[in-house]
Amino acid sequence: MRLALFCAVCSFYLAANAAAADRSLAVTIYNGNLALVQDRRDIDVKEGRQRLEFQDVSAQIRPETVTLTAADIAIVEQNFDFDLLTPAKLMEKAVGHEVTIVRVNPATGAETREQAQVLATNGGVVLKIGQRIEVLRDDGLPVRVIFDKVPDNLRARPTLSVTVTGAHAGQRHATLSYLTPGLGWKADYVALFDEGSGKIDVQGWVTLTNSSGTTYENAQTLLVAGSPDEAGDSGQGNYRPVRARPTLQNPGTESGSRERLGDYYLYPLAERTTIADLQTKQVSFLDVHGIPAEHGYEFQNRWLATSDTALSARSVYSFSSSAHAGLGDQLPAGILRFYMRDKRGDPQFIGESRIDHTPMGSTLSLATGDAFDVKVKPIVAKRTRISTFDWQTDMRYELSNALPRDVVVKVLQNGLWGDTRITAESQKSVRRSADTAQWAVTVPANGTASLTASFESRY
Amino acid sequence: MRPRRAMALSICACSGACASASAAFAADITAESPVELAVTVYRAPARSSGSIRLDDLNGFALISETRMVRLPAGVSRLRFDGVADGIEAQSAIITGLPEGIMEKNRDAKVLSPSALLAATAGKSVELLRTNRKTGRTDRVPGTILSDAEGGVVFRTVDGVEALRCSGLPESFAFELDGVPSAQPSLSVLVRTPTAVAGKVTLSYLSRGFDWAADYSATLSPDERSMDLGAWVTLANSNGTGFPSANTQVVAGRVNREHDAVEPIDLGGPILALCWPRGSTSDSPPSRELRLAQVSAGSSMMPAAMMMAAPRLERATASAQQKVVEEQLGDLKLYRVPERTTVASRQSKQVRLLDRAAIPVTTLYRAEMTTDDPRTSFAAERLLRTVNDKANNLGLPLPSGSVAVFSLHDGQRLLLHESTIRDLTVNEEVEIGLGLSPDVHVEVVHEQVSVGSAPAKLLPLLPGVTLRTAAREQVERVQIGNARSEPIQMELRVALYDGARLVRADHPLGSKNGRPTFTLAVPAEGTATLRYQIQYQVQSTVR
Repeated sequence: MRLALFCAVCSFYLAANAAAADRSLAVTIYNGNLALVQDRRDIDVKEGRQRLEFQDVSAQIRPETVTLTAADIAIVEQNFDFDLLTPAKLMEKAVGHEVTIVRVNPATGAETREQAQVLATNGGVVLKIGQRIEVLRDDGLPVRVIFDKVPDNLRARPTLSVTVTGAHAGQRHATLSYLTPGLGWKADYVALFDEGSGKIDVQGWVTLTNSSGTTYENAQTLLVAGSPDEAGDSGQGNYRPVRARPTLQNPGTESGSRERLGDYYLYPLAERTTIADLQTKQVSFLDVHGIPAEHGYEFQNRWLATSDTALSARSVYSFSSSAHAGLGDQLPAGILRFYMRDKRGDPQFIGESRIDHTPMGSTLSLATGDAFDVKVKPIVAKRTRISTFDWQTDMRYELSNALPRDVVVKVLQNGLWGDTRITAESQKSVRRSADTAQWAVTVPANGTASLTASFESRY
Repeated sequence: MRPRRAMALSICACSGACASASAAFAADITAESPVELAVTVYRAPARSSGSIRLDDLNGFALISETRMVRLPAGVSRLRFDGVADGIEAQSAIITGLPEGIMEKNRDAKVLSPSALLAATAGKSVELLRTNRKTGRTDRVPGTILSDAEGGVVFRTVDGVEALRCSGLPESFAFELDGVPSAQPSLSVLVRTPTAVAGKVTLSYLSRGFDWAADYSATLSPDERSMDLGAWVTLANSNGTGFPSANTQVVAGRVNREHDAVEPIDLGGPILALCWPRGSTSDSPPSRELRLAQVSAGSSMMPAAMMMAAPRLERATASAQQKVVEEQLGDLKLYRVPERTTVASRQSKQVRLLDRAAIPVTTLYRAEMTTDDPRTSFAAERLLRTVNDKANNLGLPLPSGSVAVFSLHDGQRLLLHESTIRDLTVNEEVEIGLGLSPDVHVEVVHEQVSVGSAPAKLLPLLPGVTLRTAAREQVERVQIGNARSEPIQMELRVALYDGARLVRADHPLGSKNGRPTFTLAVPAEGTATLRYQIQYQVQSTVR
């Protein structure tokens, strides 16, 4: 069912194309705003020491990661110059030098040329013309300033230069590789749920974004599912991280046929593509139909949480990513958007959920939002002290269902820390984790149900 | 979303075609204007009740557009113009193309003076210099050397100069070649073996929409029943309008994840920053002047514009067009029966429901806590009913605002404004009417007694004794009613962990697991309630 959309064979056909352009770019993009750019090109090298400039590199290049490799050259030093050519710098570097000033007579338009020496540029430009000292355009009249040349180290863009010693003159292949932020990717999924048959169709897209300030023409692109950048998304300013609802229920153990790099999966794009600056690009990698999916309800209650009003249960969809009864692929991290057809047959959005990198064969359980008609009212019915440190808590959960069919709601009670025990319950529970008990409560169509449980805890 | 078959990017399809079919040779095709539009508006996920604010629409919409396209054989770049400004490009789905979508692109680069300059940097360009006296324009060929950090440096035959630093009117004559479009564009790169013509549907999520239900309840003079009417108020803050669209709104909370926002190109003017231009007559601008400039720049939207449209009154109860409800998974979808135009920067109202003669109970409520520092406070007045058929309701009530009106000498006067959350069938409906100064609650701790129990040595902590004492507290609550009719009062008691209500001189009920007293207070009279609570206080002594 899965399509082999990315083919390595294609690159064979494209090799000729790349050679004709004598420049070949390969971009490897990681999840966490990081990319490795490999820039192969033919360079002319003279014999002896010389400076090679590379202007068309990423505007956000990390200069400390640059490597230049070519035959028969020795690298002396690498420089990254970010002294930019602006009118102010131009004037600053002209201090002590001669410039030409052209006065334009506002009445007649006649031009008068004079040579002037720039004395200072602090706050305003002070000139020495002959034996006079003048402030440039102090009277507001038009004066053009003409400089003879641009100082050597001023450039329009930050520039990477490498000083090399060539063993002999001639053209040769060189590879410049570097890391740059500003490029990243993630996955976006579209799932269409069919309520009648309980099946979903899922499409997956890789979405790559370029905000690095540079366009990568005709680049061979490889996406890596993983972010090796350790200094990535820490410090979001979160005072206390909220424990998110786990989406992965059973981590899978299937391998599949995807290429790997270490423990990362690789997603090569089938054809060379141009990644323009400020572009978001999407390429399909997954398209499967008729996967069985289950729809259910879930309600999570914090320890001792009680409510005067009924709270909506979560609407949860679960399906498998295994090869025989599921999506049959590893799923890179991203957002899965659920759609469902309305009575007219038009797909409507019903919510979305983030998924993490998911191995093949896993069971995913994704919450899309709140159920309008299925609600739970958790009530702390009684708290009694049974001895110095022991407490008994009687909980009652009142469930209601305004749908015309029976539903099963998984009621989860969190916070059963330490040696908290369930001493009595109106139906059997299962322990989802050390601190969470779960009851599957059936609520009849247009009806209500009640669940009670007593807990013994200590503090 | 129609099931789509395999895409033509497999190995076999690549043979031969790959080498020539590079993106660079793609023909640019623009899809025609939409022939069919559908807009489904979703509420701001974080808002559980209340109305919308036009200056802060945090909801979103699903937009589907059907357009005619004609594609030649080969690779073409199909562009969709006129999509909403708030489009979330990564959610875009394109259906109807036969096969072979190679990639979807969203280009955020837009045309601006600075983009023109950046596109021309390093290329030859004509400098235009106009003589102020004669009006004659000189055209000087040159090259732009740099546009870094807002300043422009160029070279002509004369030498190197900076733009607009001379005081002469100077500009460039740009060539319009390969410059970006006016708005961020959405396009797909598609490969078709033969020329095709047909309908393509583009659907995407877009920010800048919101909706809420705005209810108005009219209380009958005897305050025993009310009429309830409601509008669906939806709004679009995008610069794009959607003429003659199938319009729906969806009630219920849908999950939204925080997603990376696509890059934005802010564009910008050509700043032409120069070298320091201070003159001998400059003095720093005064502080007052600078402050005046700041406040002039930040003009505020008039307050009236930020409010949602006024609640329109219903003219006739039945003849109006109403939205039609249907179930969408676990959500409620309301369809506007006729096509309507969702214009740019517009709020629109369609009738949601009208129900008459809903029996209601008017009651007063107060919260009693054990250590309330307040000794005297006003009770809260509210209307209560149940959302079922017996009460002339029994339909889903989506969240929004409620304005309660009362008839006074034949005139409808506003009593109170409050909010309502999503209420399903058979749920209890409570509409707050605010605090009532006529009904006063006074609380007196009449008696507090602390019993003494022998101190106990803790076995595990040597030297520490534990003293447990039973504490009893008698509360007297006096409710004064200054109204000319008897009222019903509900007192909800909040207890400490482990505390018990042991004695009371009125029957004790329970609501939602909390001890609750219901008292009748006579007209212009008072009612008194006494109850005793008991709990244990533990203290350790070292």
